[in-house]
Amino acid sequence: MNRKTFRKLHYEGTKGCFNISPDLCKGCGLCKEKCPTDVLDWGKELGVYGTPIIVPARLEQCIVCGICELVCPDAAVLIEKKEKVKKMAKGS
Amino acid sequence: MVERLAMPKSWRLESKPHKFCPGCGHGMVLKVLGEVIDELAIQEKLIFGVDIGCSLLAWDFFDVDTVQTHHGRTNPVMVGIKRARPELLCIAYMGDGGAYAIGSQHLVNAAFRNEKIMAIVVNNCNYGMTGGQMSPTTLPGQKTETSPYGRDPKETGSPTQGPEMVAAIASPGAYVARGSVTNLKQLKRFMKKAVENQLAGNGFSFLEVISCCPTNWRTNAKQTWAFMEEEMASYFRVGELLTAEKDEENS
Repeated sequence: MNRKTFRKLHYEGTKGCFNISPDLCKGCGLCKEKCPTDVLDWGKELGVYGTPIIVPARLEQCIVCGICELVCPDAAVLIEKKEKVKKMAKGS
Repeated sequence: MVERLAMPKSWRLESKPHKFCPGCGHGMVLKVLGEVIDELAIQEKLIFGVDIGCSLLAWDFFDVDTVQTHHGRTNPVMVGIKRARPELLCIAYMGDGGAYAIGSQHLVNAAFRNEKIMAIVVNNCNYGMTGGQMSPTTLPGQKTETSPYGRDPKETGSPTQGPEMVAAIASPGAYVARGSVTNLKQLKRFMKKAVENQLAGNGFSFLEVISCCPTNWRTNAKQTWAFMEEEMASYFRVGELLTAEKDEENS
């Protein structure tokens, strides 16, 4: 059975990676307001409801706290911390 | 292409993106519930009951057996399923209109009988699906479609304090708490305890969640957070009201 998949935009930062799916983001902006270091801003691409999606406009300020991933009601945001990637590479 | 980003494993992919409005608190509550379902591995034995209103949009949300009922009848339906099949885990998922207005008789009596089910009430201060009318939990002075000059407590009474009401009539063994989507880690802790309370067969588990409705509040993201963190939190106190530990202290 073909399972549903969602597009993913990948942004690589120094401390971690920011992933967002335009197929899921409805542009509510809750993550933008909760970001403690003001990383997020509106992008040019449109999301599933025809509203601008969130992009990490100031990714160099990101502290990979994961609050945006936590508060997203549509689970459109995924934060990957770099330390974890390294550990997984060592373990494999 | 990716299959699921931050979605819990119990979420049904075919129904995503879900039908809730942008910024709806239901998404956050159901994400926390999905994580709890995953962590406690209860997906196979869970019966998920949704009420009418916005909460019914969760009827194809999870890969679990789901039933939809009307106007707070989720509680008695879940009670019936739980009595017939005690090995199952029953969660009733309601909005504040269904649970506190039309369905309050069912909530009160289920709590009074200490039924071994769990009820989650998502409180967003209005009737969301029908266009934002005044609900039992609308705050004093809050403007809605049917209270255009702000809610007047002299005419329409004070907002319903659901967990306080349930805690006042619940028997020992019940778990009663109020969480908020402004503190999702605490909400997850409360939700896990409520599910574990039912798994242990102690008694009625009740969790109210302070949630948001940006569409009908007509707020932007900043105002939405501010309304929940300041105005709602000052009226609805977040915390645990009845737990097993508190029962022991009192005895």
